[in-house]
Amino acid sequence: MKVTVTRENFQRGLSAVAATIPTRTTLPVLSNILVETVEDRLRVRGTDLDISVSVQTPAEVERQGAITVPAKKIADIAKELPDQPVQLQSEGGRVAVVCGKSRFRLNSLPSDEYPSFPEIPFEKGWKLRSGELQRLSAHTSFAVSSEETRPVLNGVLWQLRGDEMRMVATNGHRLAKMVVKVGGTASGEDDLIVPPKALQQVERLFDSEDELEIARSESHLGFRSERTEVYTRLIEGPYPNYEQVLPKDQDKECLADRAALTAAIRRVAIVASDQTHRVKLSFSAENLGLTVQTPDLGEAEDEMPVSYKGSPLEIGFNAQYLLDVLRYMGSEEVKITLSAPERPATFQPVGGEDDYVTLVMPLRLME
Amino acid sequence: MQRRIHILPDHVANQIAAGEVVERPASAIKELIENSLDALASEIEICVRNGGKTELRVADDGHGMGRDDALLAIDRHATSKIKSEKDLRSIQTLGFRGEALPSIAAVSRFELETAPSDGDTGTRIKINGGSVVSVDEIARRPGTTVTVRSLFFNVPARARFLRSAAAETRAVSETTIALALANPGTAFRLKSNERELLDLPRTADLAGRVAAIWGEELASQLLPIDYVADGVRVAGLVQRPADARPGSRRVYTFVNGRPFVDRFIVRAAEDGYRTTVPPGHRPALFLYLELAPEGVDVNVHPTKAEVRFRDKMKTEAVVGAAIRTGLEGLASAAPLGMPGLSSRQLVGPPTGRGPGVGAAAAVERAASQMALFVPGAEAPQQAPADESGVTPTDMTRSGAMWQLHASYILAETRSGLIIVDQHSAHERVLFESIMRSFEEGTAGSQRLLFPITLRLSPTEAQAVEELSGILRRIGFEVEAFGQNTVVIHAVPNPHPHFDAERCFREMVAELAYGSPLVESARNQHERVAKSFACKAAIKAGQPLSELEMSELFDRLFASSLPSHDVHGRPTILRLSLDELARRFGRS
Ligand SMILES: Nc1ncnc2c1ncn2[C@@H]1O[C@H](COP(=O)(O)OP(=O)(O)OP(=O)(O)O)[C@@H](O)[C@H]1O
Ligand SMILES: [Mg+2]
Repeated sequence: MKVTVTRENFQRGLSAVAATIPTRTTLPVLSNILVETVEDRLRVRGTDLDISVSVQTPAEVERQGAITVPAKKIADIAKELPDQPVQLQSEGGRVAVVCGKSRFRLNSLPSDEYPSFPEIPFEKGWKLRSGELQRLSAHTSFAVSSEETRPVLNGVLWQLRGDEMRMVATNGHRLAKMVVKVGGTASGEDDLIVPPKALQQVERLFDSEDELEIARSESHLGFRSERTEVYTRLIEGPYPNYEQVLPKDQDKECLADRAALTAAIRRVAIVASDQTHRVKLSFSAENLGLTVQTPDLGEAEDEMPVSYKGSPLEIGFNAQYLLDVLRYMGSEEVKITLSAPERPATFQPVGGEDDYVTLVMPLRLME
Repeated sequence: MQRRIHILPDHVANQIAAGEVVERPASAIKELIENSLDALASEIEICVRNGGKTELRVADDGHGMGRDDALLAIDRHATSKIKSEKDLRSIQTLGFRGEALPSIAAVSRFELETAPSDGDTGTRIKINGGSVVSVDEIARRPGTTVTVRSLFFNVPARARFLRSAAAETRAVSETTIALALANPGTAFRLKSNERELLDLPRTADLAGRVAAIWGEELASQLLPIDYVADGVRVAGLVQRPADARPGSRRVYTFVNGRPFVDRFIVRAAEDGYRTTVPPGHRPALFLYLELAPEGVDVNVHPTKAEVRFRDKMKTEAVVGAAIRTGLEGLASAAPLGMPGLSSRQLVGPPTGRGPGVGAAAAVERAASQMALFVPGAEAPQQAPADESGVTPTDMTRSGAMWQLHASYILAETRSGLIIVDQHSAHERVLFESIMRSFEEGTAGSQRLLFPITLRLSPTEAQAVEELSGILRRIGFEVEAFGQNTVVIHAVPNPHPHFDAERCFREMVAELAYGSPLVESARNQHERVAKSFACKAAIKAGQPLSELEMSELFDRLFASSLPSHDVHGRPTILRLSLDELARRFGRS
């Protein structure tokens, strides 16, 4: 292999891939990246076996080939190189890096030891604008679970339907769901359970204007734009039936200023128990009271004007969950619907075109 | 001239520590020099021949005696220094028994020449083995000269026990040095067989005396100390730690101007050096203790070599503190060698224990009322001190913590470091909070969006049914679904890494089938609380954020038994600085 790239392209490619390289691994080749030529381009690939990233950049290819290079070292070198063309050349078991007057020779491992990337039939996939996917993921993936016993809840449910797509995440205590209309070309319906780490890579590596091709194989999902590809293992379902738990008979409704509510919760939560973070909300006409009582610490009370329809209600929540769901509401006002102290509350932005709902299960109050 | 000396009444004399006053030439020398010092001599000359076995002489320029006093002085219990029983308790002079001269005169050919400073005629008394041979009027300058020849000539058993002339000379020299160190304002000259061994001019300065005896090098290695606590002043010179050497050393201790030996005082002083000198290295010490005469009993030993402190522990503590303060001063470059006392040194802690040996840790702890992780904040009042001896207030200001192997938390404390087992610690925290919630009903219970359905064994299902009330109170809302199946609608949420389903399964199995842990419980509530604490606690292997670690510490130290988990295993290990020093061979 012999190839020349601009320093800027080389470095951009390496830094895109470096984030996937595992810091500690039992498989030594995984701490390397794969550098290979593809027609008149240079492709850099990295993987931790769950998520793989691949970036292409234009290059002057003299001799086709592939080689692996220690990821951390090559990324550090690229950062320090002068701004001149970088030439990469394989020399037996090593790779030579030449840039201006700087020369490096790095030991490498054979490229055929590098794990192969999943085969994804992109021709049978979907096409959509990256920004829409990013918006979905940003509003929902915070709600995933970190518990190990229910792996499906560690992922984000992504439902592709004709002209819309939905994303749902929950840890069983709170849930976030968002739906967007899609203008892109749809090819069938599907339910995918995606690790949030992969969605983070998608948010990081693609511009919101990028047109993405998305397709799946039996076990993997691929995202690609002109230059960049992201692959991830899919989490096996089934995902719990969330539609069923979204309440439909909420008879109480409250409109509150989102910033004021957030501020009040943050204030009283200071004296909430480290363990439960419990805050009690008391809804009544025109008024929302917030109370925290922590036996070995003390108590806090606060109140704020709201507009509330329904009979008065007292309900407990984990303050942290409330703050999480409020954080991703883009609107000034938030609509809360409720029914009973042991039933979920929903939170939705007021105004705007987002079809976004979050749901928080209460904490039992024991007085 | 006026007579000073009188015979002590029997009831006083009988209270004086009895025994052999004169054992060897050096002890005679000691008695004679002390008499000269009591007579306020400014120059004392000591001469010995053949180690003092053949002849020894002490000559002074003190206030001397008139003829009548001189005759009385050689009688037993004749003294000018105390009068009554009461005086025995506050002795200010070196002599007080009226024993020395007659004891020496009884076992030698003894000659006393003396003339009082008021210019009266001098007197010479010769005594052989206790019998007065002659009393003559002589002309001499004021002062006293005592000559002792043929010591033990009439006690052959004693004479046989005398050592070589060289050894006896060494002993005489040692005795002279000790008294010379105690009295730098008096000139001393020691001659042996006409050879001058010591010539110590008067000096105002102790270091000057040390230099005159051993040379400038030792003198330059000494740090002055001067410290007062609890009515005890400890002043003097101590060797810099770096100059301490193993083996032979110079350790001299004095109390109210009197040399004494006390290995406990020496040990207290060496403890003050702790960690600053390598093992086996012995610093030179010249320690001068001053305390009210009532505070020290010198009437305990026939040769007055030992004394008894009324408050031995306190005295030792002050000595240790004096050394430490002196060495501290070195480190912090505080002004050294100030004559007199600074106000800081004069103020002793009111507890009756100085910031010295033994009391150091307690005082330090009491003085450091700062909170665990909030610099400068007040410590929580309930901070308990149990046998682990670790409290939040013990943490250093940096509050630095590290997680080791995702299982242990290492934190710096004032006195060293502690290692906390995160699972055991959390177990303790959860157990206490559950037990408290049984009384106060404060356990939180998070309702679930997707209830958990579990199939149990018949035994487990039965246990769940029996315990459902208690399970509910710790946060598990469980509904029986028939056929040994239960549905969990709500769960406790003790920490963000909590796995409710796994915890419930493990707990129910333990409660159904028993375990040493639940067998040790006193009632059903405690059974459930123990099992829950054990199964719900943060697991070993769980990485924790710094905030999570500090919360765990806060809650652990707020619990009533922070150093034990519910199995009775330790939650905290401590490694003291002393131990570290020991392990690194620094003490
Ligand atoms: N060098 C001296 N100069 C002046 N007076 C002396 C001298 N030596 C002894 N005396 C007087 O003789 C007395 C008796 O001395 P001696 O040493 O026997 O008894 P002490 O010093 O009173 O008591 P101790 O037996 O404890 O030494 C002393 O009390 C003192 O008055
Ligand atoms: Mg005497």
